Amino acid sequence: MDLVAQIVINTLQIGSVYVLFALGLTLIFGVMKIVNFAHGEFFALAALVVASLMPILAASLGLPHWADFLIALTAATGAVIVLGTLTYWIGFERYLRDLVGSFILSVGLILFLQGVLVEVFTATPRPIEPIVPGTITILGGRITIQRLLVLGLAVAFTAILYMLLQKTKLGKALRAVAEDREAAMLQGIRYRRISFYGWLIGVVMAGLAGALIAPLTVSQPAIGGDYLIKAFIIIIIGGLGSIPGAIFGALLVAFIESLFGYFYDLTMATIVMFVLVMIFLLVRPQGLMGHVER
Amino acid sequence: MSSAKWMDILGAVALGALLVLAAASHEAYTLKVVLWISLNILAAVALRFVMLTGELNIATAAFWGIGAYAAGIVTAWYEWPFALAILLGGLGALLVSVLFGYVTLRTKGPYFMLISFAFTEVVRLIYTQSDVIGGNSGMIGIYPPRWLDPFYSLLVVATTTLLVGMMLWLERGPFGKLLKAIQNNDAVVESVGLDVQKIKIMCLALASFAAGIGGALFAHANRVISPGDFSFLLAVYALAYVKIGGEAHVTGAIVGAIALTLLNQYVISFGHFEHLLFGGAIVIAMLALPNGILGLMDRLARRPAMQRSEKTSRQREAVDG
Repeated sequence: MDLVAQIVINTLQIGSVYVLFALGLTLIFGVMKIVNFAHGEFFALAALVVASLMPILAASLGLPHWADFLIALTAATGAVIVLGTLTYWIGFERYLRDLVGSFILSVGLILFLQGVLVEVFTATPRPIEPIVPGTITILGGRITIQRLLVLGLAVAFTAILYMLLQKTKLGKALRAVAEDREAAMLQGIRYRRISFYGWLIGVVMAGLAGALIAPLTVSQPAIGGDYLIKAFIIIIIGGLGSIPGAIFGALLVAFIESLFGYFYDLTMATIVMFVLVMIFLLVRPQGLMGHVER
Repeated sequence: MSSAKWMDILGAVALGALLVLAAASHEAYTLKVVLWISLNILAAVALRFVMLTGELNIATAAFWGIGAYAAGIVTAWYEWPFALAILLGGLGALLVSVLFGYVTLRTKGPYFMLISFAFTEVVRLIYTQSDVIGGNSGMIGIYPPRWLDPFYSLLVVATTTLLVGMMLWLERGPFGKLLKAIQNNDAVVESVGLDVQKIKIMCLALASFAAGIGGALFAHANRVISPGDFSFLLAVYALAYVKIGGEAHVTGAIVGAIALTLLNQYVISFGHFEHLLFGGAIVIAMLALPNGILGLMDRLARRPAMQRSEKTSRQREAVDG
């Protein structure tokens, strides 16, 4: 049926970006045991870099739009890495495993970075031209090719992260630290260095999500706020620190958003999500796949 | 003099000074600043009260807002007496907090923090969707009685002092010991047959009552309220007052609220740089003053300068480990 196909396609498309965003958040929590409230600012930074670079690149290089997009995406990732490194060395390094301290620090950063982003990029919304034009129909559901491309890239990035965590030495170290920091340190894993890598990978995931969303929306400095609250709902459902939980939670939230967004409106969808979370908490306080808090 | 004692005195002096200012000053600007300072103190102390159990309750902002809307409705629609409006603001917040606590206080730590954050933002979304209470643009015409106008700041400071005193009294008594025991190890408290969740709900309800009163006073001070006034940032500022003042003692919340409110008054004159400067100040204060202003004062008062740089972040991690 067309409607079912349409809702499934919308769910996958919206969900794929939520997965990236929430994975970054949950990875940072797993390794550093802090919640990065400033996650949305890394997202916004990347979206704004892409949205403001694309028109410049299109005017000066004369490459196809998708090539411009890849260049802008790389630049956005670079900007996020620089900001991530700075914020880590100046601030978060001192607040490893300090939930309350890191919370104020990250909210202070939200205020500060919002101010900076408004100064640098102005508060004017920035729409950009589609990277690839056209629409196709899959199993009776319609999707623009551009959205399909974003979906494909988001899935690819998620797969790369997953492989990195499962197969590489760094990934094993990250998982070991998330599981039991002291046991990991006894095995000779350098906690501080690993937590820096975890942080950096986490904020880069947020940045990639932002860069991917830029062609689909109008970017402005406050764009990260909506994603942050949904990401929280996602990781409460999935369990803090759980990678499969974040993926499942993101798809569930995206499904509710597609369904209620289709029949009612997006604000209603967010309220429904929250009510579901409350019901969910009554049954399972640790999240779907989370560990029991000790 | 022990550190707790001089902090007690400092807190009492600070609140006393605010009372005197509110009673003696006739300058509108001074009265306004005193009013904001004391509302901020109330929010910070209410937030800190739940922190005694080890939980960070961002929903303080939501309960502040529920108090404001409840009192706003009582005054603007029904025109019931002012005192009743304020009391119903507090009771409304208390009632909702008990329901909220019943569901969410099974969780703790980061889960409770995130759920209280989400609750705050969702309650705000519900306001924007409810046309009866003005939707996005909010409610207008929440006037306190006219005769009260010149004394309004004094009333707010007095109420704040009363509620802060009440919460401090509870903190120092047997109930406070229970809260701190839960923070240290809730399993032990559970093991002697006490109902941890019930105690935490009581703690949340008391703090939310205070926050609801604060919101009700805020609504009558502002006369206009809108959903934007009650975002999670309200709780963040309250937390910044607590942490920057010094978490260990209630006076820290008072000192932090005074310092940051005054700073904000100054920073507001920079127009759109406001957020940038205030956010920057919070970050710098967090990095430079790990135990807050009171912690710094205590250390300066008691120790020679050479030990000032003890407890670097590396040592701290070893301790936390």
